[in-house]
Amino acid sequence: MAALTSRSKKSIRFEESDLLCKNGCGFYGNPSWQGFCSKCWRDVYQNAKQAQVRADEQKHKRRLLPGVDAPSFGKFEEKKKQQTDKRKNTVRSIFRKSSPDTQQEVPPDRTIVRRASIETQHAGAEFAAFLRTLKKTTALDASKQVRGFVERVQNMADAPIDDLSELVIAFYQAMSERVKTHALYRDMSHETADRLLDFVERYVMTRLYRTVFCPPTSDDEDRDLAIQDRIRSLHWINTFLLDIALNETEDSMRKLVDQAITAVIEMDSKRAPQDKLLCITRCSKHIFEALRMSKDAPASADEFLPALIYIVLKANPPLLQSNILYITRFANPTRLMTGEAGYYFTNLCCAVAFIEKLTADSLSMTLEEYEGYMSGAIVPHDPSRQYNCEDLAIMQENVTTLADLHDRQQRLMAEAMQLQQDMSNFSLDMSKEINAVLQRTPLVIRPSKVKVDLDAETTDADLLPPPLQPIIMSSVSSTPAVQIKEIVSVNFATEPSNKVSQELVTEPANQQETAKDGGALVESETSRIASEAGLANGSDVIVGSPTDNVPDVVELLGENIPDIVPADENVSEMAVAESANKNVINNELDTETVGVVDVVNDNITNVESTNKTITGGAV
Amino acid sequence: MATSSSGARDNSFKIVLLGEGAVGKTSLVLRYVENKFNDKHITTLQASFLNKKLNIHGKRVNLAIWDTAGQERFHALGPIYYRDSNGAILVYDITDEDSFQKVKSWVKELRKMLGSDIALCIAGNKIDLEKDRHVPAEEAESYAKSVGAKHFHTSAKLDKGIEELFLDLSKRMLEKAGEVEQKANGTNRSTSARRNVVIVDDEPEQKSRGCCS
Repeated sequence: MAALTSRSKKSIRFEESDLLCKNGCGFYGNPSWQGFCSKCWRDVYQNAKQAQVRADEQKHKRRLLPGVDAPSFGKFEEKKKQQTDKRKNTVRSIFRKSSPDTQQEVPPDRTIVRRASIETQHAGAEFAAFLRTLKKTTALDASKQVRGFVERVQNMADAPIDDLSELVIAFYQAMSERVKTHALYRDMSHETADRLLDFVERYVMTRLYRTVFCPPTSDDEDRDLAIQDRIRSLHWINTFLLDIALNETEDSMRKLVDQAITAVIEMDSKRAPQDKLLCITRCSKHIFEALRMSKDAPASADEFLPALIYIVLKANPPLLQSNILYITRFANPTRLMTGEAGYYFTNLCCAVAFIEKLTADSLSMTLEEYEGYMSGAIVPHDPSRQYNCEDLAIMQENVTTLADLHDRQQRLMAEAMQLQQDMSNFSLDMSKEINAVLQRTPLVIRPSKVKVDLDAETTDADLLPPPLQPIIMSSVSSTPAVQIKEIVSVNFATEPSNKVSQELVTEPANQQETAKDGGALVESETSRIASEAGLANGSDVIVGSPTDNVPDVVELLGENIPDIVPADENVSEMAVAESANKNVINNELDTETVGVVDVVNDNITNVESTNKTITGGAV
Repeated sequence: MATSSSGARDNSFKIVLLGEGAVGKTSLVLRYVENKFNDKHITTLQASFLNKKLNIHGKRVNLAIWDTAGQERFHALGPIYYRDSNGAILVYDITDEDSFQKVKSWVKELRKMLGSDIALCIAGNKIDLEKDRHVPAEEAESYAKSVGAKHFHTSAKLDKGIEELFLDLSKRMLEKAGEVEQKANGTNRSTSARRNVVIVDDEPEQKSRGCCS
């Protein structure tokens, strides 16, 4: 709050006149327009600007060289012009007053010395230290030659760069010849001579670097920008597209690749051609080391060049073309022609040329794919691209691990749920089964076995239907009997019924004994009932009434006969058997009834007696 | 490494190895320089640039052997590699007819660009696989003769013909160098050759720039 109030207090101190346009037009001014209002500022500023432009144009016209192509005033062109102007102006302005016409004689190294960089000082100190090891006269001569040459070149800094290059190369040659032939250098060893020439090259080029590196007279900077943009637009190229066996997911491999990239970028910071070449060599060695890791044999150019192209693409070294051109122009040609550094430099040139001319064909892909990649519509699949830095790689790993863990947990959960389901199902099924079993086999507490005394009078006997009284039919006996006989002959001429009837007829006495056995008993019982029915109610009633009674009889019999009581496993069988029995019984009843009736007709008297026995036995 | 510019002291020659991928360029040069084949104990980290010092008839010769990338996609870069080279070894695989055709196209290109300044050797490599030969020996030899090149049957595996190949090439390069020196004043000649370096370099670079802009 305090801060706020104090600020508001401060703002009150502004006078309104302070805020108004300096021009006094009545509008408010703005500090970014130097206190003018927008309208006045535009007037003031544009006037000044136009005046400046006019002045520039005039200046430019005066000095416009016929060779300079200036159809487009791009930013770059302007900058180049400014550089040239600046240099000319400073040189001119310094000497205009005294001798405006003697530009050529002016020793320009005064300006150079004034802005001598650390590199120049360093190179100078090194060179001086080396010269001190030589004989004084020799050192003096070498120093004189070198300094004289540097001054000569700096004098003609605006000459075409190729002329300068020729001059420098010729100087190397002349120096070499001088060292070989001149009397002053006669007693110098080859090694020292080589070193001397090396130092000469280093010192000269360090001194001349500002003048000849990316000179405003050439289009080097254009080409730098072109290759830089080109490399940027090719950012999507990966090791797979170039068939390189570099597995960047490996830590050590990534380190080597990074070192190679650093080395090639570092090239720009060096001044002497041999130092720049050394950077390229270092970069190449790192690439070879990396390649060696993936293959257990020395790498050939077949593997090296694509890898170098990849490194250049990844590094996008600053001022690449300028550096390459500088080296080709000013490095000692012998160095470039046969030396190892020369070989790597040539490969770098190849890599740059390849990148410049790269087409869909050279990556063995279709034009559509290439266009897609260039426009960014498609992104090539490249797992290694995810591993741009170590932390990302670790993160990636962690993410994968987590995803894996998540998967496993889900699987575990699913399995646990399944298990739970299974368990509940199991208990449900179990209880269902138990219920089913319980239902199928109800717990019946049976009375303990009581020996049935056939003769004893039991209360159960009251439940039984009253014994049928045989009725002797006289009038209606003939017709229905014939009818029944026909039915029997067609449908029910079955063995058992006859047998039963026969048995009934022939062995009445045996019936009593077999009656103790369940099955036989049922048989005999039914036949008994049938015969009784048939006998009692006549043929009309025979089919109906006795069947109604049968279940009762069976039940009764079942209860009394322990052998029929099933074990648990046989419950269903027994149930089937029961129903089958019922059917059989029904059928048999019909058959037997008929059969019995048939027989009965013949042996009425016999049946009467048998019936009595059976009934008695059953009861 | 000697960075001397005093070329008279010893003869430094640049030899380029040209040929399709997998014809055995690398094995050939490794066998020559290290006398090893498929060996884990090869001391050099790389097999793309190798030096070999020779002594031929008392003359010290230093060979710088430049391997080139053989893939078709890098074919256009050939001129950058073989620029200023004194000799070229064109390698083909005797079991691969295509690689021989590639050699023919290289020869044509070299003759066109460098004329007769360059000494050529054609190496039919992998003669240990004679039974699979697809390039007739007579055809290859007569072709080599017709273009002024020497043909050698080599095998990096069995170390056959390689020493002879390099020795012959070195001798021919020495002869050529001698001719050049006899023809013209040494210093002038070398200066102009050096000037050539710069000029030749600029041409392909500018061409490429026009292509991509």
